[in-house]
Amino acid sequence: MDLEEMLLGLRRRREGAFMPHVYYGDPDASFSHRMIETLTESGADLIEFGIPFSDPTADGPTFQAACERALRNGTTPSSCIRGMRELSKRNLDTPFIVTTYYNIPYVAGVDVFLRDIKAAGAQGIIVPNLPFEEAGTLLEEGERQGVHVILLVAPTTTEERLRKIADMASGFIYVMNVEGVTGARDSLRDSTLRLVERVRRHTDVPILAGFGISRREQAEAVVSAGADGVIAGSVFTKIYEAHLEDPTEALPEIADLVRELKLGCINKCK
Amino acid sequence: MKKGRYGRFGGQYVSEMLMPALEELEEAYEKILPDPGFQKEYRRLLRDYAGRPTPLYHAERLSREVGCRVYLKREDLVCGGSHKLNNTLGQALLAKRMGKTRIITETAAGQHGLATIMAARVCDLEAEIFMGVKDIKRQASNVMKMRLLGAKITPVDIGSGVLKDAVSDTLREWASCSQDTLYLMGSTVGPHPFPALVGAFQSVIGNETRSQFHEREGGLPDAVIAAGSGGSNALGAFRAFLDEGDVRLYFVEGGGESLGAENSAAAFQLGSPGVIHGAVMQVLQDENGQIMPSKTRSAGLNYPARGPEISHLCEVGRVKACYAFDKDVFEAVKTMCRTEGLIPALETAHAVAYVMNHREEFSGDDAIIINYSGRGDKDVDAIMRYVYGS
Repeated sequence: MDLEEMLLGLRRRREGAFMPHVYYGDPDASFSHRMIETLTESGADLIEFGIPFSDPTADGPTFQAACERALRNGTTPSSCIRGMRELSKRNLDTPFIVTTYYNIPYVAGVDVFLRDIKAAGAQGIIVPNLPFEEAGTLLEEGERQGVHVILLVAPTTTEERLRKIADMASGFIYVMNVEGVTGARDSLRDSTLRLVERVRRHTDVPILAGFGISRREQAEAVVSAGADGVIAGSVFTKIYEAHLEDPTEALPEIADLVRELKLGCINKCK
Repeated sequence: MKKGRYGRFGGQYVSEMLMPALEELEEAYEKILPDPGFQKEYRRLLRDYAGRPTPLYHAERLSREVGCRVYLKREDLVCGGSHKLNNTLGQALLAKRMGKTRIITETAAGQHGLATIMAARVCDLEAEIFMGVKDIKRQASNVMKMRLLGAKITPVDIGSGVLKDAVSDTLREWASCSQDTLYLMGSTVGPHPFPALVGAFQSVIGNETRSQFHEREGGLPDAVIAAGSGGSNALGAFRAFLDEGDVRLYFVEGGGESLGAENSAAAFQLGSPGVIHGAVMQVLQDENGQIMPSKTRSAGLNYPARGPEISHLCEVGRVKACYAFDKDVFEAVKTMCRTEGLIPALETAHAVAYVMNHREEFSGDDAIIINYSGRGDKDVDAIMRYVYGS
């Protein structure tokens, strides 16, 4: 099912969506497969599928370490895309959204890269270091090939920029909750909630909010502010990186947290 | 052409989080920079605090060894020991005018960090400096000076603990504090408007050089040679001559040990265009677009990317992309010590090394200018180990 349709369906059912973010290949590909299966079985509605990059400047220390480990064991964009193809064959209902930094598609060729991820089952792409000013090629190719280009907004985004982003948005809008980089945080500021409201005034496109989310109450707060769903990532990596010799030991704890966060998405949906 | 583009290089590839800060800086660049009051204050600081204009020195003994007239543009005499202060004074003044209270930056050789804390002091700003753990170790004297002047030094231990990693961490920090803090970019790298801004502040080097040379010899020099990675001292020296087709321009990057993977910092020899740290730049990367670590004994040249403007100028052939290997650089340091009684920074010595090793490119009638970008006090330990063994 198309992800925008799916998100609007959830909205009609008054259920918030949950999208966990993983960097594929950390600490190895077979764990990523087990992890993504666990995520979908425990309540993830979409998967944010990270293709590791050497210099992930929008990511905090947890995801930086994840990228480093994945690259050290030989993970490449093509091994990620192969992995996604296998996974999407088995998880037909769960849309995959690829996240990577712009140099990866830039070097591969934006058209080739989008064609390959689309063929492997991706419905959308998030490029955290690509503001709309530089997104012309990606937006054009995305439209041509039927891949949603997910645009991001930040607490610092001005009204003028917000209007432009809302006009170009497709799939959903990614709201970055807090200033800074990815990573679990103890508290979310009121600015998050205000930002969700600000975005909502400009568009009906679904809104997913991420950065800093690690607990059910945070998911509840974001969804009750009007977001259509929640994104969390580093918090899962934090759980399994404590068991790097056998990360599968962390899967039950990860499954529990997914259920908790998804419950937060359901509980407080307006 | 799109904003901030140099051919296919440049642009603004940063998180949406930072775009409003870049827009604000662009506005400051366009409105505050040309303001006569700003320019007057900037020039006053360059003259009375930094010690400009720096001399153009006819190095007669070095000239005899090279076989043509060699001039040194003495940026080593700028207070702090390098050209870096030209830029930091400008950006710190700008930050103050923009109402910022704090500046952050990264440093490798420590020259930019030192120049940053100096500028922060005279502009009443707080300064935090990110530095790779490896560089903190090998540039200990500059670290001490920065601390003495009151800089907060934040060690960066991600990746290889060098400049590339420090830049990444400074960008991350800036994303969380851009409202009251300016990232004081140290070179002509990163997203627009940084390359333009840094280039504008460093162009004082070439403007002075051009008129000093004209006074001395009349006409124009035959060649200008500068070392670099991001390109700020080189562009500073080159910009005044870009439209003079007869002036040959040479950019010397860090060759490292050899032109092999992970042994070099020579991005023009081994790299390709890629998107890193906010812009399309010539960069060392693998076939998948993962950025490769650079390697050279010179901390200040140990960066895998070349700034957008120098990348473009080399691509179109206006500037010749050259390199020097570590061993030749140390020999060049010895040559400078022996001939002119000057200890150059390892970065600067790359330009000298290129000239010494390519004498055939300079005819006996040539008058050439080496941008002598910094002094070598910070490198004395490494130089002593090379000259006398450890």
